[in-house]
Amino acid sequence: MLSKLTTSAQTRQWPGHIPVEYVYTAGIAGEAFLRALKDRGMLLTSQCPQCQTVYLPARLYCEQCFEETKQYEEIAPKGWVHTYTVAHVDIDGEALAVPQIYAFIRFGGTNGGLIHRLGQTQPHQVSIGMEVEALLLPGKERTGSINDITCFQPTK
Amino acid sequence: MAKVAVVGAGMTRFVRRAQETGRELSWQAAKMALDAAGLRLKDVDAVVIGSAPDAFDGVHMKGEYLADGSGGWCKPTLRCYVGGGTGVFAPIQAWYHIASGRFDTVLVVCEEKMSSCHPHPQGAFLTIFDHTTERALGPNLLWIFALEMNRYMTVHGITKREIAEVAVKNKRNALDHPCAQLGANLTVDDVLASEELAWPVNRLDVSPASDGAAAVVMCSEHVAKRTSPQPVWLEGVGWHLDTAYWTNRDLYYPQYLEYAARMAYDMAGIKEPRKEIHIVEPYDPFDYKELHHLEGLLLCKRGEAARLTVDGVTQRDGDLPVCPSGGLLGVGNPIAAAGLMKVCELFWQLRGEAGKRQVPGMPRRGLAQAWGDLMQVGTVVIMGI
Ligand SMILES: [Zn+2]
Repeated sequence: MLSKLTTSAQTRQWPGHIPVEYVYTAGIAGEAFLRALKDRGMLLTSQCPQCQTVYLPARLYCEQCFEETKQYEEIAPKGWVHTYTVAHVDIDGEALAVPQIYAFIRFGGTNGGLIHRLGQTQPHQVSIGMEVEALLLPGKERTGSINDITCFQPTK
Repeated sequence: MAKVAVVGAGMTRFVRRAQETGRELSWQAAKMALDAAGLRLKDVDAVVIGSAPDAFDGVHMKGEYLADGSGGWCKPTLRCYVGGGTGVFAPIQAWYHIASGRFDTVLVVCEEKMSSCHPHPQGAFLTIFDHTTERALGPNLLWIFALEMNRYMTVHGITKREIAEVAVKNKRNALDHPCAQLGANLTVDDVLASEELAWPVNRLDVSPASDGAAAVVMCSEHVAKRTSPQPVWLEGVGWHLDTAYWTNRDLYYPQYLEYAARMAYDMAGIKEPRKEIHIVEPYDPFDYKELHHLEGLLLCKRGEAARLTVDGVTQRDGDLPVCPSGGLLGVGNPIAAAGLMKVCELFWQLRGEAGKRQVPGMPRRGLAQAWGDLMQVGTVVIMGI
């Protein structure tokens, strides 16, 4: 017999939750990446000594060769839009007061990239391939987070 | 049945709080195992990942998350999971990858990063209890073990003092393990005097929460014979469930394990386990569980394991060395990695590479076992040279 509950009063129900919270570490390479961003406003890459792949953000090892990617190098946070979207509603389906642009940004000579907000621009002005640079928080306000980058903005 | 060998093993240090991400831990262990086998990632045909609840690392789809650090880039890869039993279940997955004839070389990587989970990984366990009949009572994980330990002690007339000998032995053995978290020279009185958590369980009866990873490389017979100076063969595998309702188990005896052990002994052609197994690495997240599991493995009569321990039979230089690694109680308990650590230990012991931990007398066959899920799964591998 198929039955359907139409109100919670028809059966015993009670709320519950799984009571866990988390503390994450960035890891060996991730820690170095966040420090370069916080202290110098730069993006840290690491290169595989075997296949020469340059990972951005920096990684500890090459997923293709399994070698340690020991050659670290910092680059300026300037790249281009690889693809983007414009969000109009939030996770609950409520309209955003201001549509938010999210982009996948790539950087020259590297494999990988960053997902981040695009700012100081309007959706109709954004195009794939447009050059962008990071708008960083003032040094003293940075905490060592990807949000030390306020957003990427069109290169001036 | 096609023969399958372990040809390399590796592990990270087990620590309370690792800076490395789970991926980085996995890579460290996997790289060490490959280097030990003299193989490269390109030699690996498939990857098996073992990791216990996603809720520990705080990463959903943890198998996918760990895949690149486990060598799964552009390879057939799976993640297996039977809770605490995972670390010995993972090499069983690799065994049938290879025994099927489809793959020659499989990398097995087990990882857990429990320090991510706050305030304590136990929080992730609170919802394993039945939400209708049990959760309203506010149970925590220790209750299961305390109730089981009491039942085991009472049925057999075993004392806390006898059981504490296991913690003393394993933590002392762990002093010789370079990756150990909790090696220590303790006395039975130290264990009995440690904080009472839920009677009869005291703090030093329990393994710690840990971060770490372990890995092994497994091969088909023809690849093992070509690449390895001393393959260690998987002679038997077994895994089995009991009922998931813990109130439908007696608790004094681990029936889940007897089923799994019989399956493995049958495959290995073992008729008299006590005579034919030279080293045992049973799952010891609590000291009484080592005893419980020795009985479930049919390595002694029911209720006899405590006596063997008190008599020194299970010491590293005893007649039946048990947890020569230091076990979960001493080396640490990053869940899935802890189980695979036991397989690594057999690999090193059987090849005579265990250093200060080496069991004397050139042991030729060992057994590793883990336990978990809703405390009703047993996983067993038997390895020999
Ligand atoms: Zn590479």
